[in-house]
Amino acid sequence: MKPERIAALVLRWAWLYTRNLPEPAGGDRVAEIEADLHDHIADARAAGAGDRHIAREIASRALRGAPADLSWRAQARARPTAKGAGMHRPARRSAVRVALVTAGVLAIPLTGMAVSDEVRWSAADFVFAAVLLAGTGALLELALRRPRNLVLRLAAVAIGVAAVALGEADDAPGLVLFGLLAIAAAVALTLRRRVRPDPRSG
Amino acid sequence: MPRRKPGTLLALESEILATALAMRRDGEPAFHGFALARRLKDERGSRSLTAHGTLYKALGRLEGFGLLTSRWEDGDVEGRPRRRLYELSGRGAETAERALAERRAKPSPHAATASRPVGRPA
Repeated sequence: MKPERIAALVLRWAWLYTRNLPEPAGGDRVAEIEADLHDHIADARAAGAGDRHIAREIASRALRGAPADLSWRAQARARPTAKGAGMHRPARRSAVRVALVTAGVLAIPLTGMAVSDEVRWSAADFVFAAVLLAGTGALLELALRRPRNLVLRLAAVAIGVAAVALGEADDAPGLVLFGLLAIAAAVALTLRRRVRPDPRSG
Repeated sequence: MPRRKPGTLLALESEILATALAMRRDGEPAFHGFALARRLKDERGSRSLTAHGTLYKALGRLEGFGLLTSRWEDGDVEGRPRRRLYELSGRGAETAERALAERRAKPSPHAATASRPVGRPA
């Protein structure tokens, strides 16, 4: 068997055990193995070794190292990195933040209904407001975590503009205020990105 | 897989440091994975090269301990993939000196360990 064929299999194995690992750990490992395989074949051929011998040597190195590959993967998955540090925890925190703000804002009309006859919200009003608040909140949280994504910020501005227009037409000052806040938040995120450039860029 | 006592190096890690120091003395301060594997094989008089997983895991650990530094070759290298180049750090060179002294004192490199504290992985 040609050593290149075995090298391709070993590289496929490297792709497999580095799958879904935080970068740059996974990509670096694959690139390092690729360079090693190339150097191994070139060096052994230069020394006059036969293809079968080289292929056997490469296969042996890969097989003997497989347990270490797997334990390295387990450690790399557990290790927080600068980029991927606890990706799940911030996502959960974002969700909790959005839920708390949505509940807090919805508590205002609910309290108003309890103490005054002038505030009258239907269940549909609450659902509409909850979807609007939670949706926009999630969008802003995503925009915060992905500062290079302009679409997210533009979508927040679009929702804000729509809320202002709808609020004006419906004589709903709360909706207008919400729209203005959404626009302001999107602008603030853009300014924040300019002041503190994304470390991943450049 | 040998168990590590806190603050000690595994035999392979000591061996890598000692070999890296020897390579530096030979005028090769920066080395890549395969070159190291070949040198280890020559120095051991072994028939086989260190396995991929074992070698790169050990290199990663030594880098985590701050005993090695690494960088990727600059730009495109014609005809072959870019290599990751390792180098002994100042602390790594000191630890390597001790590892080398221990290896000289003990006939079998596989029995050697550098027992001084090496710090925790970064």
